[in-house]
Amino acid sequence: MGGVVTRRIVGSLGAIFGATVLAFVILRALPGNPARLIVGPLATPQALASVSHQIGLDKSIFEQYWLFISHFFQGDWGYSYADGESVSALIGERLPATIELAIFSFAITMLFAVAFALLVTYRRRPIADRILRAVSYLGFGTPPFFVALLLLIVFFRSFHVLPGPEGRLGLQSTPPPTVTHMYTLDALIAGKLGTFWSAIEHLILPGVALGLSSFSFIVRLLRANLLEISREPFITVARGKGLRRWTAFRRHALPNAFLPTLTAGGLVLGEFLAGSVLIERVFNWPGIGSLVFDAIVKQDYAVVQTFILLSAVMFVLVNLIVDLLYAVIDPRVRIPSVATA
Amino acid sequence: MGSGPLIIGAGEAPTLRPQGPVEPPGASSSRRAMRATRALLADRRIAVPFGVIVALVLFAAFVPLVWNQGPDKQDLLHSLQSPSWSHPMGTDQLGRDMFARVATGARISLIVATLVTLAGALLGGLIGLLAGTIGGVSDGIVMRAMDAILAFPPLILAMAVTVGLGIGLNTAAIGVALVSVPWYARLLRSEALRIRSLPFIEASYAIGMKRSRVIARHVIPHMLPVLFIQMAAAFGYAVLGLASLSFVGLGAQVPTPEWGALITEGLSYSLTGQWWISIFPGVGLLITVTAASMLSDRMRDLLDPRGEYARL
Repeated sequence: MGGVVTRRIVGSLGAIFGATVLAFVILRALPGNPARLIVGPLATPQALASVSHQIGLDKSIFEQYWLFISHFFQGDWGYSYADGESVSALIGERLPATIELAIFSFAITMLFAVAFALLVTYRRRPIADRILRAVSYLGFGTPPFFVALLLLIVFFRSFHVLPGPEGRLGLQSTPPPTVTHMYTLDALIAGKLGTFWSAIEHLILPGVALGLSSFSFIVRLLRANLLEISREPFITVARGKGLRRWTAFRRHALPNAFLPTLTAGGLVLGEFLAGSVLIERVFNWPGIGSLVFDAIVKQDYAVVQTFILLSAVMFVLVNLIVDLLYAVIDPRVRIPSVATA
Repeated sequence: MGSGPLIIGAGEAPTLRPQGPVEPPGASSSRRAMRATRALLADRRIAVPFGVIVALVLFAAFVPLVWNQGPDKQDLLHSLQSPSWSHPMGTDQLGRDMFARVATGARISLIVATLVTLAGALLGGLIGLLAGTIGGVSDGIVMRAMDAILAFPPLILAMAVTVGLGIGLNTAAIGVALVSVPWYARLLRSEALRIRSLPFIEASYAIGMKRSRVIARHVIPHMLPVLFIQMAAAFGYAVLGLASLSFVGLGAQVPTPEWGALITEGLSYSLTGQWWISIFPGVGLLITVTAASMLSDRMRDLLDPRGEYARL
């Protein structure tokens, strides 16, 4: 087990290294003045010179890379000239909102994907299967920001059943006392059920918009794997020794069919951070996504650059966690002789 | 068994059978290509998405030529009008005709996405082919570089490239193309490795063909089906990626009527009742991407040699 885990961790470190090199090449080594990129077109010459010196443009390329990386991992992400605050403070402020949305969206995505995949595979209903196929094609082909817009037009403007783009809480609610920075959890801790419901209501539309295309992807994957596994001989054996169909399905087919879904789940969770750029603006969600959206408009690239590196690192880390979970779930991964065969 | 190997006992060794489809005797690659094309055209489930894409191309090609209003012509007296006979998709906040703008946007999306797909396929395909046929150290280095690209969420990497090279539709296109390269490279590398292990390649070497000729005459033609499937899927992603970058402001700039940029423009009007500015470009995106992914899926069913439905 130890060998596999070490190999995965080393692999992930390698991926992070590769990603930082790539980010460095793209953001720093290409033609154009990176300092100008960071301070923006309206900055004073002093600001430009100070940033040039700070990021070490006068040094060798290796020293520059080292500075780029050490600053990043020390949390020294530069200064946002548009907002007059350090980038780390800005991102720290906005991160909880994005994480809360990503986790909520991930939870409903996986829940619905598993439920629907089971629905169409457990009893083979051709009509349900066809509807699911159509939904997953459309969900896959629709840009998330357009889904967001459609949801708002239908559920907010036409039927008034869910709140509009007003951020994380309704205007009447005040944020609960801060414990975890997640409004839903904080409201529960403080015992304010009204605020809790308001927070949930505000999460539904952005959560669905963020998750729809991933739902389409995962439900198709899981459906295909479930169909494949349920044809395997060991399912027949499980049924043959007298297990009920549901028990055979739940205990034997689902765990085996779930492994590729787990990998996909890791990718999806990592991508939700990137997807937040497309969604948050539509809902005025005060997370990192809308911060980056505004930063692009204001040409405030210190924020954009940090976001790019940060999400690459988080993407790799989430995938590492999934790999390690694999070893917990699938005994074959734990036995090195099988894993390497 | 007519054209099988004339080695005694070969029939008793099933493990030696090639893993891909058995080559039909005497089928030249051009005949095979014709057969594949005919079967694709006869398939109803391909005809629908293919027809949709043809219709989109016609729409993009001819509507801007024949429609009586230009995409940039402002008419402030008739701003924010709902769809009518003279403006089938309404007008925007500056009175520009949305029908003309959506049609021009279709042109931009289809042309740029096609170029992106071709560039990605060419570069990624070449990398995959070289890594798969030459192998060795260069294979290792190139594939690690591909892994570094895959360590980014795709949209983020495209954003990075666009920011690094300077904002605009051209750099956004480069970003989206770059993101697609490792997918081609990985796929075609494994295809090349698979094909290389087939017995008829060995036979080609045995009769004295040079490596370059084997690659050109046998390996590349056998890679094409998988490449085309991937390109159809990548086309959808390219349309989506370009629209996403334009939506966040990194792609096409005002006043270019790119679909993603049009959706951003209409965003604030959608919730005050002027839904048509954002809805029509969004529907255009939805139709294009869905058609591309259906096309790719069905092609995979029919053409992918590793798929269970491979019939050709």
